[in-house]
Amino acid sequence: MEEVVSPYGIGTALVLGLWAYIAIVSMLAPNISFHEPIVAGAVTGIIVGNIPLGLAVGGTLMIISLGMHTYGGATIPDFLTGAILGTAFGALAYDGNVESAMATGLTIAVPAALLMTQLDVFGRAITTVFIHGADKYVEDENFRGVTLMHILGQLPWGLTRAIPVFLAIWLGAGPVQRFMEWIPEWFQEAISTTGAVLPALGFALLLSMLPVKKYWPFLIIGFILFAYLEVPVIGLAIAGAALAALYFHMKEGEASA
Amino acid sequence: MPNKNEKKVTKRDLWRVLLRYMFTFQWSWNYERMQALGFAWAIMPILEKVNETKEDLKLALQRHLNFFNTHPPMGAGIIGAAAALEEQGAEGEAVDSLKVGLMGPLAGIGDTLFAILTRPIIGVFAASLALGGSMGGFWLMILFGLFWGIGVKIYLFWQGYQRGADIVQDTAAGGTMDKLTTSATILGLTVIGGFVPSILSGVTTPLEYTETVEVEGELTEQVVAVQDVLDQLLPYLIPVLLVALAYWLLRGPLKWSPIKVLLALVVIAFGGSLIGIL
Repeated sequence: MEEVVSPYGIGTALVLGLWAYIAIVSMLAPNISFHEPIVAGAVTGIIVGNIPLGLAVGGTLMIISLGMHTYGGATIPDFLTGAILGTAFGALAYDGNVESAMATGLTIAVPAALLMTQLDVFGRAITTVFIHGADKYVEDENFRGVTLMHILGQLPWGLTRAIPVFLAIWLGAGPVQRFMEWIPEWFQEAISTTGAVLPALGFALLLSMLPVKKYWPFLIIGFILFAYLEVPVIGLAIAGAALAALYFHMKEGEASA
Repeated sequence: MPNKNEKKVTKRDLWRVLLRYMFTFQWSWNYERMQALGFAWAIMPILEKVNETKEDLKLALQRHLNFFNTHPPMGAGIIGAAAALEEQGAEGEAVDSLKVGLMGPLAGIGDTLFAILTRPIIGVFAASLALGGSMGGFWLMILFGLFWGIGVKIYLFWQGYQRGADIVQDTAAGGTMDKLTTSATILGLTVIGGFVPSILSGVTTPLEYTETVEVEGELTEQVVAVQDVLDQLLPYLIPVLLVALAYWLLRGPLKWSPIKVLLALVVIAFGGSLIGIL
């Protein structure tokens, strides 16, 4: 077998690692969407020179992640890292067709997003060191130390994304490219089915946060609006707003009657 | 209440608190006390002004290093109110109970408004733009982020600061906040009800079976797609069952963690695809 030279140099690997670092830390604060798959994918697309692919991979992962939100700090799949790796590797398979490059990219993005949950837990756990450090500095009345601990707290978060991205791009691009050329059809199909099923978790999480037992009829109405009438998103939102208004109207009417 | 320290805290100090909160709040998030260190560090400029001795500052910081966790944009209102109380020289206990009393309700409201209502709706729009190859999807998400991450924080910080402890009473009394949450819940459930079939519409079964039917007196073999049969029963039955299963695993007697449910779904989807039922 001929030796495949990594198509990405150490420079690209460093830039993408840095972007992963910035994006995850910005998820902590100031929360300005850098970690959202569309943004992460688009910026990666700019870096590797394929913006439409970055948008497509990011858009698909955005749909998969709908409703997945880290309630109270629960770990969810890392679609940020998935978007970066999926775009970068998908670009290697790009031959003028965004759709097929995206499908290939997703076979990397989805497993990567799932595997990264392990590192998310690790990062969240190890940051505990810094609050103990802060306790100690406060005790010693060294208040600059508190600042230091808070600022350094970002390191486990940033590095648990930057290092895997850097290594995967720098060392992995060659082997991954070879793997992607060899991916059997059934594997690609199974991954795409997995991607299609995953939003179910997001919706279940959303529902588990809501008082479904009390307000279930609205869920059914929404379902009927789409399933039987194919009402688009805006229509659903308008109907929901009208139902909310109606609910209060009737409730207040009852109270005053 | 004597405002002995009021003159010492300047507008600039308050902005320092807001900027620290806005740009670094969760950088030191950890399992043990979550956002505690971020809160303590953000409010430090006020604590340094109002506590005259190092010993007092130490005690104040120790108070703020207790467990804290809320929805970051909504929490800006809490730190604004806490800053006002600290500036007025309120008892430490009053500040603590304000924080503890508000973090839960505001997290609930914030999660509902952000994760249940606005993010899924904006996200679907942005994703459809992005899948069409338009950078509009990118910019829409950035605007969405700036709204929550910058706009909401600035607004709520000053609201919280000006109204101080009043904000506690307002929230406790329900009123507008309660109405807002209920409206968001109804709107959210309606939208989710529609999203389940639309977003999961790709989940179908390729299964087929052959049956022998009588057509005009002759027996012929006919291939029947299981999906068509299911659609007559209830359209999007498989997506509904999957969401119901995931919900049951999360909230039913098993009380699985999201990660465990995730793994179960991956096994079902991957395995289902391999054996040809999904």
